[in-house]
Amino acid sequence: MLAFVRRNQVLLASFLCVLFSLLILSAAARGRLQRDPIGPLLLELMRPLQIGAQATVAKLKEIQHRYGTFRGLASENDRLKGRITELEAERNRLLEVEATNRRFRELLELRSQLPSGSLTATVISNSASTWFRSFVLDKGSTDGVLKGMAVVSPVGAAGQVVAVTSKSAKVLLVTDPHSGVDVIVQRSRARGIVSGSLEGAPIMKYVKRSEDIQEGDRLITSGLDGTFPKGLLVGTVAKVRKKSFGLFQYVEVSLAVDPSRIEEVLVVSAESPDP
Amino acid sequence: MKLSLLFLLVSFLAILLQTTFLHLLPLGPIVPDLILVLCVYWGLNHPTVGAVLGSFLLGYSVDVFSSPVLGLNAFAMSLVFLAVYLSSRCIWIHNPLLSAAVVFFASWVKGVALVLVGTLFLAVDGLWMGVFKYIFLEALVAAMLAPAVFSLLRHGQRYLEEARMPF
Repeated sequence: MLAFVRRNQVLLASFLCVLFSLLILSAAARGRLQRDPIGPLLLELMRPLQIGAQATVAKLKEIQHRYGTFRGLASENDRLKGRITELEAERNRLLEVEATNRRFRELLELRSQLPSGSLTATVISNSASTWFRSFVLDKGSTDGVLKGMAVVSPVGAAGQVVAVTSKSAKVLLVTDPHSGVDVIVQRSRARGIVSGSLEGAPIMKYVKRSEDIQEGDRLITSGLDGTFPKGLLVGTVAKVRKKSFGLFQYVEVSLAVDPSRIEEVLVVSAESPDP
Repeated sequence: MKLSLLFLLVSFLAILLQTTFLHLLPLGPIVPDLILVLCVYWGLNHPTVGAVLGSFLLGYSVDVFSSPVLGLNAFAMSLVFLAVYLSSRCIWIHNPLLSAAVVFFASWVKGVALVLVGTLFLAVDGLWMGVFKYIFLEALVAAMLAPAVFSLLRHGQRYLEEARMPF
């Protein structure tokens, strides 16, 4: 028996890992996984590295943008290279400061309209997988972030907190197929659920065939899912298709938020504002 | 011991790259799966119990950073290791082209496992729309990366082995 185990230890270990992971998956899917022993440790370990790496990524994006912008000015830059390069570098630095100020001012304005207890957070890492749309924020439970809180940007709803450690929080974006945001059409008050799709555009599900919904309609959060405050812009209807059979219409959504461009967000709870 | 340290460092680097720098590449939503390539490398060249646990933990780490449900990628990566290990017992795979083909096949195993589990056990609908395009693109990117990653790992390994020899 021992000889058999020794000969096939890798195979047996593989089967055990597959079964164990299914066990974890089953418990997590039913909400019975109370504690994650490894996740918080891993998040804390990677956090400083990711913050540093993300700062480098931001610099690289700035260089890329600068190259694209300046390509047309190459001939003039050759002539006035020295002085203009210095001035442009200073200008870009100030533009970045101005853009950051503008983003924070917009967040502050949004924060005043949302329930008290909302806080700002910065994205420090993106999803490690093609299959899941998520990112990690630099605030956690010690800052007041709780699982289930909504994450919004000045433009609209971005996602929901699905896991929290003491100093970071994982956010499932509205573009993920596993997400679901309860929305209503601002014009006709038709209701549905906006969920991400691997195909490309997110779709609005469970919209009855009898509901009045047209291209260009604005979709706002209904507030009924207990996650997002009511009235946040989610997106606009991009395409509507009614088949000749079935209970529901097929509705494609153009989201207000581009998750790949988000840098700072607000984390809010869906409670009513203080009187 | 040194080899384990090397693989541990490479694992952390793969996680860091996949959550930060690799998003700079103009590949749309596709993120090059270095973690998958690493698991396939272990399955082909280092089929040990440590490698099995490493694959499980790497999948778990993807769940920690990306997935809404723990265990999904841990299951997929364990399955990938198992599939690659079983294939390596039957087929001799030691040239870059075949290794890339194995990575391509392993990426399909991972993609199909994720979609099946998501659809059957997590009641996620809408996953089938466009899924094969995503699996194909992800598999293609991973297969293109594989020869370079495998070569780097082999060089690292060889360097450590030569450093161990006193003369």
